[in-house]
Amino acid sequence: MQDQQTPTAPGAAPKAIEFRGVDADFRGLVTSGALLELVTFGFYRFWLATNIRRHLWSRTFFAGDSLEYLGTGRELLIGFLFALAILSPVYLLYFLLGVEAERQYAFASLPLGVFFLAFTQFALYRARRYRLHRTAWRGLRFGMDGSGWLYAFWAVLWWAFAGLTLGLAYPWAQAALERRKMKHTHYGEAAGRFVGTGWEFFKRGWWLWAVPMALFVVIAAAAGAAEADAKDGSLGGLGGLGVLGAVLLIFAYLAAPFVYAAYKAIQWKWWLEGLRVGEARAMSSLRLSAFFGNIWAYIGMNVAVLFVGAILFGIVMFALDLNGVPLETASAEGKTPSFVLILAVVPVYLGVMLAFGVLWRIYFIQRVWKIVVSSLTLYDLEGLEHVASRPGTANALGEGFADNLDVVGF
Amino acid sequence: MSELVEPEAAAPEAIYLDGRVNRKRRVRLNFGPALEIYEDGALLAAWPYADVRRRDGAPDGLLSIRAVGAPELARLETRDAALMEQITAHCRLLEGDRREKPHSMLKIVGWSLAATASILGLIWFGVPLAADRIAPLIPLAWEKRFGEAVEKQALDMFSGKECKAPKGLAALEKFSARLQAAATLRLPASIHAIASKVPNAFALPGGKVFLLDGLLEKAQSQDEMLGVLAHELGHVENRDHLRRIVADGGTAYLVGLLFGDVTGGGALIFASKTLLSAANSRDAEAAADAFAAKTLAKLGRPAKPMGELLLRVTGKEADGFFTILHDHPLSEDRLAKLAAADEGRDKDKGAVKAPVLTDEEWKALKAICE
Repeated sequence: MQDQQTPTAPGAAPKAIEFRGVDADFRGLVTSGALLELVTFGFYRFWLATNIRRHLWSRTFFAGDSLEYLGTGRELLIGFLFALAILSPVYLLYFLLGVEAERQYAFASLPLGVFFLAFTQFALYRARRYRLHRTAWRGLRFGMDGSGWLYAFWAVLWWAFAGLTLGLAYPWAQAALERRKMKHTHYGEAAGRFVGTGWEFFKRGWWLWAVPMALFVVIAAAAGAAEADAKDGSLGGLGGLGVLGAVLLIFAYLAAPFVYAAYKAIQWKWWLEGLRVGEARAMSSLRLSAFFGNIWAYIGMNVAVLFVGAILFGIVMFALDLNGVPLETASAEGKTPSFVLILAVVPVYLGVMLAFGVLWRIYFIQRVWKIVVSSLTLYDLEGLEHVASRPGTANALGEGFADNLDVVGF
Repeated sequence: MSELVEPEAAAPEAIYLDGRVNRKRRVRLNFGPALEIYEDGALLAAWPYADVRRRDGAPDGLLSIRAVGAPELARLETRDAALMEQITAHCRLLEGDRREKPHSMLKIVGWSLAATASILGLIWFGVPLAADRIAPLIPLAWEKRFGEAVEKQALDMFSGKECKAPKGLAALEKFSARLQAAATLRLPASIHAIASKVPNAFALPGGKVFLLDGLLEKAQSQDEMLGVLAHELGHVENRDHLRRIVADGGTAYLVGLLFGDVTGGGALIFASKTLLSAANSRDAEAAADAFAAKTLAKLGRPAKPMGELLLRVTGKEADGFFTILHDHPLSEDRLAKLAAADEGRDKDKGAVKAPVLTDEEWKALKAICE
């Protein structure tokens, strides 16, 4: 908006990326969306996903101009149906192989797991491609080419490698896969690339790997010692180790959401700062604790919903004063029959479930988006001025393939 | 460009993006025969008023418009209230005409309900029909594999071992041989006794029938047991398990299609599956009862005792709201039907033959697990 008067401001001044969304608007969007999902037996989810993206995109301003989301719910529906058409034979195969696996244990499930991993990676690639194709800024689309299956092939190899190294190779896997994705990304004629390195990611986040690993080793050792104690029948001495293990385990449970939040902050920052489109780049001021408040709020709201749900459930049970009596005995005894109980409890259950869904969308989509976007500053945007559109990227019918995997960002 | 058509200098500004290059152009608008867009006096584009549409989902306070015939991403944007008003006044179809608004809320809801109804219809009518057609096409070798796969689980569930007291085994063999001779099954079946206190009997795909000791204990006559086994052989003959596998798979798939990832869908899937497979299995049980009655008629033995045994095991059932959830038809109904079958037969032929087992053999069978 501020920039409208000076469309091609010269100079290397950094430009802001802003999120101007209003929390209440988004809350309204996802709340009514959840109710519509209920009424449409879930079919509305494709339109809801589209509306959510349109909301977030249009309120995100790169150097004064908002992003535009061009996708439609109908495309997502078609993509979902396509994915089903491909997955159904696979599920049939899965079932038949499962029968075989019961007879000959070792081999059947492994290649199948690999296939599902590969398919997930393929879907992630195509989902990002779809979203980029449907994103425009200043009258030009983003886009992505390359083969999703080829990407899936490399992704499976990298994941296998990361698994074999107990996760140590994970940063390098992420960097390699992101390089592959960004190499095929473009904005108009401006090509994308990824300059983040695995080493950089590792340096920032190694302790998030090391501390839980160490904790795991200690807990396992303590559990082993406690078991040995129990066998000996002696409660003194090493028994303390068992207690220590239990305490650490509880601590690990409590800490897990925050470890995850710290990891996400590191990952977002590393990823965003490694992105290049043309020469344009972004710096992020995300701190390790950037998502802590968000996680607290999410957990708190969930507890509140559960609490309210439990109270409502209690009221319903109390009002009906019964515990599931069949119809004709109930009428004889003057009690409420069990199907009335079900009619009364189902709305409470559905309400709680819908509230959980709404909370998830608020705190894991909109708030994360807001926190991340607000942390960014754009540099060297000048190179992107006067970029021309790339022919042939305008039409990408049926790209909604497998986009129902609702993943933000990555 | 002539001086005449150039808009006055004081006219408010707008930003034009041509959809080919990402340069933002400061333009002035002229509301002539069409919406004319000028940059420094040069005409960049003229959009017919009827082609101008509002861009969906533009940020608040910004009017962003496009034109139907223009490049897809060509945009004209302004934040000037007066200009917005002028554009709105000139462009009648700013919000699109009816044809271009395919996704009104009502339409989505309506089509969703239609799709839901059609999927439910498919589950209710299509799936059982498909199962009937597909089940006979499954090769016997496959059926046996299904059976072997399930057998281990089933035996684990009842935590039982096979009973092999020699005399009892011989009696069971005799039972099995006589039943199969009378029934002429599509495949050879085998009957096994399992040491479990659960009063039950079940058949598996591939022709294995399992009789749990708990049911043997509750049986008061060998005709009761004969009837139960004939009933289980009926399931084998009718391929009920294969049909159920096909039907459950199809139902799960269709219900998944319906609810997808909607929150709480899991519980709904479970509930609807239970309801549907219960409804289907009631038919299957009735068919197996009929098969048992026919087989017993050939052996010259009554079918009614089997119903009496069932009633003894399940107890008297009240006819409440949830009876549709029961896997088996009500025992009273079944007893009545089996008794009716006996009466019909008695009138026709009246061929009552001697029991299959001697008293000695029946006692041995009852003690097969000791």
